[in-house]
Amino acid sequence: MHDAGTANPSWNRAASWRRILLLTLVFLPTLAAARTMAGLLPSRGGTALEILLVAVFAVLFAWISVGFWTASMGFVLLLFKNNRFSVSRAGEGMDLTIAGTDARTAVLIPIYNEDVRRVTAGLRTVWTSLGKTGSSGLFDFFLLSDTTDPDIWVEEEEAWHRFCREENASGRVFYRRRSSNSRRKSGNVADFCRRWGKNYRYMIVFDADSVMAGTTMVRMVQSMEARPDIGILQTPPAGVNRETLIARAQQFANHVYGPMFAAGLHFWQLGDAQYWGHNAIIRTEPFMKHCQVPRLPGKGPLGGDILSHDFVEAALMRRAGYGVWLAYDIGGSWEETPPTLLDELKRDRRWCQGNLQHMRLIFTRGLFPTHRALFLNGILSYGSALLWLAFLLLSSAQAVADVFFEPVYFSGTKTLFPQWPVWHPHWALTLLGSTAVLLFLPKLFSMVLILVKDPQARAFGGRANLASGILLEVGLSTLLAPVRMIFHSLFVTATLLGKSVGWGTQSRDDRGTSWGEAVAAHWWGTLFGAAWGGLVYLANPSFFPWISPIVASLLLSAPLSVFTSRASLGKAFRNAGLLLIPEEVELPDELAGLEENLRRPEPYTPFPLSRKQGFVRAVVDPLVHALHTSLLLRYKKKAPARENALEELVEKAAVKGPGSLTRREKMELLKDPRHLGELHRRVWEAESRDGAAQWGLVLPPSESGE
Amino acid sequence: MTFPAERPEATPAMNTPEQRAAGDRVLLYVRGLGIRPARGLALAARSLEEAPSSPEGAMDALERLLREEGFSPDLLDRGGRRISSFPPLNRTVMVAEEMDRLPWRTSLVRFLRRWRRELFGGKTNG
Repeated sequence: MHDAGTANPSWNRAASWRRILLLTLVFLPTLAAARTMAGLLPSRGGTALEILLVAVFAVLFAWISVGFWTASMGFVLLLFKNNRFSVSRAGEGMDLTIAGTDARTAVLIPIYNEDVRRVTAGLRTVWTSLGKTGSSGLFDFFLLSDTTDPDIWVEEEEAWHRFCREENASGRVFYRRRSSNSRRKSGNVADFCRRWGKNYRYMIVFDADSVMAGTTMVRMVQSMEARPDIGILQTPPAGVNRETLIARAQQFANHVYGPMFAAGLHFWQLGDAQYWGHNAIIRTEPFMKHCQVPRLPGKGPLGGDILSHDFVEAALMRRAGYGVWLAYDIGGSWEETPPTLLDELKRDRRWCQGNLQHMRLIFTRGLFPTHRALFLNGILSYGSALLWLAFLLLSSAQAVADVFFEPVYFSGTKTLFPQWPVWHPHWALTLLGSTAVLLFLPKLFSMVLILVKDPQARAFGGRANLASGILLEVGLSTLLAPVRMIFHSLFVTATLLGKSVGWGTQSRDDRGTSWGEAVAAHWWGTLFGAAWGGLVYLANPSFFPWISPIVASLLLSAPLSVFTSRASLGKAFRNAGLLLIPEEVELPDELAGLEENLRRPEPYTPFPLSRKQGFVRAVVDPLVHALHTSLLLRYKKKAPARENALEELVEKAAVKGPGSLTRREKMELLKDPRHLGELHRRVWEAESRDGAAQWGLVLPPSESGE
Repeated sequence: MTFPAERPEATPAMNTPEQRAAGDRVLLYVRGLGIRPARGLALAARSLEEAPSSPEGAMDALERLLREEGFSPDLLDRGGRRISSFPPLNRTVMVAEEMDRLPWRTSLVRFLRRWRRELFGGKTNG
């Protein structure tokens, strides 16, 4: 199973001590907190309900403690900057030349019904940036498409062809569309590996919205060359380019707290880090040999393809003896965050199912304990929401029970004195205080780190703006936390009850959420909040203030969803200097290039068809038609019934126009060069003016002499 | 400046709607091909001379002329081969990694099988 040189690498010892320290720091305070919590309850944890309450509280306290200590260790690491395990040290003092001329790297950009303009702009940005390093000759790019939309398919082909022509990139930038998108993104990458993986020592995997600086990519290859024990090197991508309020708050949090958490993760994990599926470099050969993720047996959401395949690939790479490292101190790696709360929740639904599938992998033979813990961590990322909800509902149930059931003053054993229920407010405040410290102290740590680096905090618009931004972000995330909690709880419950999720395209523009969409998504949460709050208020008004922030957030969830999705609000905050990120204060070359590339004019076409009408253009535009049919595999005659069906489809399309075809029918025609050619001929030879006009075959009136 | 279209004696007028449609169609097609205007117009004019009365005839004539002029229905690369969007295949296999998710159960089953084999005999794998 192991084929890397070092089964017991030098960092292992340090990692073991660090993890023992983490466990101690988490479990001892959790025990103390659980005892305090039990002491606060009327029966001191003596009833079944109270035992359950304390147990849930303990798990949650431990969970937030892990986050706190990770941040704390990140704080220490970044403050003293003396990290002998930093991977980026391997490339220190080197220029941007990759020594090994056989260290070829494939840059993989898996796409699925994405905005082609954005993908091409990103590709052009990275291509240009890499070109400036002088080492670009060792990199090839692959657009790996799983697109199922006929219009986007044609648009992708055109964009690839135009890019190659404009950038003289033929033979360096490739495009491949899979006819079957089995196993989704992981299957797409595996498909590349099976076809061309042997040609490359490394592959850098992108997301459709990823952007990386050329220097970063070269440094990553240099690090991999210097450290043959590394199988995967992950960069922490920074969120950029969003304008909506919620996305700007996420970007801000990502920039302010992200580096510290990344450093903290590195501190515990060392060579047992996670792979996040993109913005990472992978050693191709061991990946192909050891990291093909199997399908899970059984049906339903917990079976079949593993959606969060990246965590599993990291675990398998580690099992094969290679390290998986987080290059927390490498910059020049960016991604875009979901623009709205609903988009974020849609993505979370997918991630939730993927992470819960890991429940079935926790005990897999041969995995390292850290990766089992990371699986558990991923499960708790969503499972904790259900636990928080359970904790709050149990607390409410306890409060309601206190009203309806009299306290037991005399227990079963004979005693002279009654047992008075005692309430220790200072215990409750201590517990609340410690929880608040665990949650909010890391935010202060982050601010200290930024100020130590630059006392003026210029990258965040100044000290006052940084402080205000943190307060705003804390306020907004606090407001949204209950909404996220109930949605995540719903996702976990739905997954465990056997409801699967489809494969949707992630929204990557700043369109807002309409009131209709918000009400449709949040009505049940609002009703749930109203019922919960109303019940507690009627039964035990003195407990109501404790849950009122949660109830208020749920009642306001629809307006919150709408207002936080507004780009105008995000821009207003930006103009006021709030929630600023360093990339907004000083735009890096790559992001400036991306903006410029997004503004590139569309190429001229004599046809009155938009670029988004890919199918129609593949039928009508002679050049697009020729490109599309050239890229298809050679025509093979099909079974007579199939041929007849396609001929009927051509007839229908020629007579009734493109609007009469379904998406599936368009795909059928696009896959068949002979029938597409026949339709092309029929459309151009159409006698009727209306028949031709429905395919866009009209000259402007002035040119046609009318 | 006088344009040829304004001199009826230079270019015969296209009278019927079919003829005008045919004219529009071939002109649009050669524009869509992105070839030099002079050459495109010459090709359009020749195809209309050959079959001026309907779009079908004119387009058939244009297609034939294009073929004669060396236009390929496929896009070709610099080496004259049909364009390809990906490099030559260099195939290998990628086998899903064995993941024994319940090792204790597997161990127990193996132990019971071995135990049964040792006690009662049976096929062995050598």
